[in-house]
Amino acid sequence: MIRIVRSTIIDAPTDRVWAFLRDFNGHDRWHPAVAKSTIERNQTSDKVGCVRHFFLRDGSELREKLLTLSDLEQTFSYCLLDTPVPLFNYVAHVRLAPVTDGDRTFWDWRCSFTTRPGLEEGMRQMVSEQIYDAGFAAVRAHVTGAVTGASQEGRT
Amino acid sequence: MARVYVSSVINGRSDRVWARVRDFNGLPSWHPGIAESRIENGEPSDKIGCIRDFRLRNGDRIREKLLGLSDFDLFCTYSILESPMGVENYVATLRLTPITDGERTFVEWTAEFDCAPEREAELVGNIGSGVFQGGFDALKRQFGG
Repeated sequence: MIRIVRSTIIDAPTDRVWAFLRDFNGHDRWHPAVAKSTIERNQTSDKVGCVRHFFLRDGSELREKLLTLSDLEQTFSYCLLDTPVPLFNYVAHVRLAPVTDGDRTFWDWRCSFTTRPGLEEGMRQMVSEQIYDAGFAAVRAHVTGAVTGASQEGRT
Repeated sequence: MARVYVSSVINGRSDRVWARVRDFNGLPSWHPGIAESRIENGEPSDKIGCIRDFRLRNGDRIREKLLGLSDFDLFCTYSILESPMGVENYVATLRLTPITDGERTFVEWTAEFDCAPEREAELVGNIGSGVFQGGFDALKRQFGG
């Protein structure tokens, strides 16, 4: 079993970060790897057990199931159902916590999974960097205003 | 039940911050509000159930019991046995979590207790802003920001 833990500090209140993260169908609005997201069977994205279907920018697709969602704890967890890469038994947990000293957000993203022998390091690096670290950077840019600022500049 | 939650970011790796705070008898070495501390009955300070008897700089004396200590999950839980604060059923936890993005540590300090309703706001303020944030401010200075 491979375990990954990534965490960071976002310079925005937890409510702003949570507003982005809690929508299980909203990752296409911020994650650079996700081109389009839909929830299957017309369910709402905060219904525990709902399944999201991702179309990734590289053309592949994957399905993930929402396992837990808590607005009180600002946490959610999910597992992979179908994936184009050899990630098996993948379960991930996201947790936000307020940094009261400065009104910032601590964001912890962790998972465990198995893969084929020989692919451990490659999968570890892909999940850590292309999914988690890239997600941190994308949400940071959105909630701290960098993306809005850039698009406003583009319009003038 | 009153609750206190204070959290901060310390500019040092979690193993180094943990080495500073894990000693249940070590408050005087890092917390500016604590003048002296000893463990009763000559027990080691990482023995669950041991009792620390310490004195604040203002002269108050407090006895606290170690309820939980984890070098794996980096937390310490304790209760107050005796204090002049006027709190009952006081249980607090100091918890460290590594921030993998840079060599920093997320620190959380929580407490739950019962008290007279008219004193709750004052106690929450004193414990949160005074004791807990005061400790975090000292750690931030010791670890350079």
